Amino acid sequence: MANATQSPLERNYARLGILLIGPTVLVFCAVIVYPLVSAIYLSLFSIYTPTLEGEWVGLSNYRELLAKGEFWSSLWTNIIWTVGTLTLQIVFGVGMALVLHQNLIFRSLARSLILFPYFVSTVVAVLVWRWLFNDLYGILNHFVMLSGASDMPVDWLGSMPNALLSVILVGAWKYFPFVVIATLARLQTIPDHLYEAAKIDGAGPIARFFDVTLPQLRDVLVVIIMLRAIWDFKEFDLIFLLTGGGPVTSTQTLPLLVYKEAFALNQMGMASAYAVVMMAIMLVFMILYIRRTREEEDR
Amino acid sequence: MAINDPKTRGKAGGVSRRTAIGGMAAAGAALAAPARVWAQDATIRWWSPQASPGQLSAYQTQIDLFEAANPGTKVVFEKTSDEGYQPQLAAAFASGEVPNVVTHLPSFAVSDYWANGLLESFNEVIEAVGPEKYYRGANDIYEIDAGVYAGSGIGNSAANMLWVRKDLMEQAGIDAIPETWDELRAALQKMQGGGIYGAPLPYAKNSMTTLTIIGFIHLAGGQIFTPDLQVALDSDETRNALEFYKAMRELCPPGATNYSWGESLTAFVSGATATGIYTGRVLINVNDQNPPIADHVTCATYPTISKDVPSWTFNDFPSVFIPKAAGDMEMTKKFAASLYDGAGYIEQLHAAPGHVLPVLQTVAEDPAYLNNPIIEKYTAEVELMAASAAAGHNLGWESPEHKPNVKAGAIVGSGVLAEMVQRIVLNDEDATQVIGETAKAIEDIMKA
Amino acid sequence: MRIIRRVLFNLFAWALVLAVAFPLFWMVVTSLKPGFELFRRPPTMLPETVTFEHYWRLLTETPFLRYFANSVILATTTTLVVVTIGTLGAYSLVRFRYRGRESLAFLVLFTYLLPSVVLIIPLYLLMVKLGLANTIFSLVIAYTTFALPYALWLLRSFMAGVPEDLESAALVDGASRMEAFWDVILPQLLPGIISTALFTFILAWNEYLYALVLVNSDSARPLTTGVMTMLISAFNIEWSLLMAASVMMSLPLIVVFAFLQSYLTRGFGAGAVKG
Repeated sequence: MANATQSPLERNYARLGILLIGPTVLVFCAVIVYPLVSAIYLSLFSIYTPTLEGEWVGLSNYRELLAKGEFWSSLWTNIIWTVGTLTLQIVFGVGMALVLHQNLIFRSLARSLILFPYFVSTVVAVLVWRWLFNDLYGILNHFVMLSGASDMPVDWLGSMPNALLSVILVGAWKYFPFVVIATLARLQTIPDHLYEAAKIDGAGPIARFFDVTLPQLRDVLVVIIMLRAIWDFKEFDLIFLLTGGGPVTSTQTLPLLVYKEAFALNQMGMASAYAVVMMAIMLVFMILYIRRTREEEDR
Repeated sequence: MAINDPKTRGKAGGVSRRTAIGGMAAAGAALAAPARVWAQDATIRWWSPQASPGQLSAYQTQIDLFEAANPGTKVVFEKTSDEGYQPQLAAAFASGEVPNVVTHLPSFAVSDYWANGLLESFNEVIEAVGPEKYYRGANDIYEIDAGVYAGSGIGNSAANMLWVRKDLMEQAGIDAIPETWDELRAALQKMQGGGIYGAPLPYAKNSMTTLTIIGFIHLAGGQIFTPDLQVALDSDETRNALEFYKAMRELCPPGATNYSWGESLTAFVSGATATGIYTGRVLINVNDQNPPIADHVTCATYPTISKDVPSWTFNDFPSVFIPKAAGDMEMTKKFAASLYDGAGYIEQLHAAPGHVLPVLQTVAEDPAYLNNPIIEKYTAEVELMAASAAAGHNLGWESPEHKPNVKAGAIVGSGVLAEMVQRIVLNDEDATQVIGETAKAIEDIMKA
Repeated sequence: MRIIRRVLFNLFAWALVLAVAFPLFWMVVTSLKPGFELFRRPPTMLPETVTFEHYWRLLTETPFLRYFANSVILATTTTLVVVTIGTLGAYSLVRFRYRGRESLAFLVLFTYLLPSVVLIIPLYLLMVKLGLANTIFSLVIAYTTFALPYALWLLRSFMAGVPEDLESAALVDGASRMEAFWDVILPQLLPGIISTALFTFILAWNEYLYALVLVNSDSARPLTTGVMTMLISAFNIEWSLLMAASVMMSLPLIVVFAFLQSYLTRGFGAGAVKG
């Protein structure tokens, strides 16, 4: 913090620091702050998207949306999707990291294969999965019928609860490698002597996981969970391309609702209101998170 | 601009609203300049959702001809899609960065944009093409304000033809193409089996489902609006249509819950369903992709609830229109008119014979148009489709008595009708209540 | 006993890996099947006839190569811009003291929350105002909205992992701050920069929504929306062609990744472990 006791050198440094952050601030103002303020401003109007003509309605968009069942059901879907896919990502991601941390033949090939889903474009992932899920020629339905679990093809994406489960599953498949990368990196930095000490104390593999590995992973997991929770919460492409929010609105999360209001219903003002509310919800989580990390740093 | 709802769209209101959105004024004022600069490089941007490889090469012929006749002008074709054009055009209109000519969107999209003052009058283009060449009344649906045309048709389509496989019918011992719903169901039940499903009807959350259910409501003798545009959805006819549509679910592939035009078409063409519901595009796809069944396919108008109810053909009325903000209006109009020029137009129609049907009577009778292997092979089918499409309607214009509905595009875009289908068929919700809520939702859109 | 356990473990691990990678395998297999074999029921596990016609058609009859080039330019430019600005910004945020620094860091976090849908129309208007609409550069700018906060966040934690003593030592030796940054920090930060660049590249390569709304001309359209509009249409769903496009779209990433994987994991570890 700048204060009266600063030396000239420190003041110079502060100036340099501001110079260096300058481009970031400029870009932030131009491409984030300005559109954001526009969005908040637009949320106070009723606007027809193609003409951008509208009239001032004040807070009535907000009143309307909070009274609408669709907002609450989309929020609920959004939470289920986020929690569901995040849980799978974390469990499967950490598990896979533990496996890949072991001595495995062709380990680096295995790693590359595991990381593949994260690196392909969502468009590719969706295309591949829609082909796998295909009702008539899809390989998954072939497996299902071969195994005798059902003699009819399964409707993976078009009916509930299959659609939500499928979306959650594909989301987990697509994003769990992120968890693998991060966890694996952390695993490699855990000093071996901790494990040896635990072994000497007679701890089995499971006890070692809970007593040594997990506490060491804790910090990195908090970061991962927070990042993935935010990204999953605002995920658009995957769900939009996979189900479009259907059947009816069963897989419609808030970002899809915003898109629908803005472009299918051409209600840009209402859409902005949804978006602003969505940001407010995320802000709550965000503040909770920041508080937590600060407390930890103080400890 | 709009004629239907003076209360919300009064002239004075428009002005004050423009000023109300003053926060965007900085952006808005600056818009004009670059938009004009853009126009000066004489590039004409042409959008269409119809872009199969055959159509693309036909478009290229038309572009080449136009560019050769108008040196210094460049035409760029850009593809949009049936499910995606709304957001793209919304963004384009909002920014002023619009295409010059848009073709093959359904007519109700045109009336929607026109009502919002976004389109240029099409009168000059129609004059240049020659109004006498059109089928009589072909442009009526575009005359939303008296004497001014919002656009024009570039073709006709019969989107809900019933396609059948004669070989499968024979095997199942069915000797006539079904004409009523009961007959249809009985026939499908006989033909379904051995990996083949009855029909590829869509139960998805998309425009195909919306358009299909509108068709079924009419096939049940009902309508969505009364002729003076009061919502008339809540009726026994609608309930009958939905009941039948629900009963058809077990005769459709499981994935029909996500079918749109492409999947539905492919299901029939690949032989996975015994019947299809589509335009004449079926013909070329069957001949290209599944020749063994090519000699066995034929079409009929879709069956109705009973013989007393006439069939109702869904015609998108594939359109042409020009956004008001397009640059170089003179050249743009010239280009729009050139799309109807003899050879180029015919090649465009031949790219998928029977899919987009000619809107110019002179072309429909032209030997150059009729001289095409597919049209020759399936003369009866093409003639039936042409006749059905000519008598066809859509949500923007449900019957000859109906006033044009400028909100039809918004209603289709909102997906409320597709949602109604999904709620009743997939979620098993109470039909009466769902229909009531849907009618209410449509009323809200009409008022908005 | 130990050997058996190792073999069992390997089998188990590889079964998992192969299950995860199965869609990749199926994508390749499908792309090599001729059209008629695709609609075979039950599906053939390996193509009976291997054909490259779909790849050939993709390259010769469609604007695929144009989209591909657009995507490469788009993702590379975005990465360069974002990493350059982000590295300087992260250096400033971590190693300098001035008023507003904390709020800035908070702003970076906050911008994570922004769903892309909110910014689209205002951004599009901005692009037109700048005369950039329908260009690749408009997407570069749009992509910084999500890539820059992300890159800053990563680089900030990488930067915190570079020992402060090294910089102090250089300063004591008489180097200026920028010299110290250039000579000491940057080499230390390199794995972090590579990692950030890769992640940014992937984000840009995968983006769909902005590309859908902001760009409507083939001259600037990237692969994501290009492949979608090129192949998903109302007239035909050509799965072989779609899978061929998917393979082509993913191959470069896999190749790049095969060479940079170790950097990525190492860099990621350094970033996630504070100081």
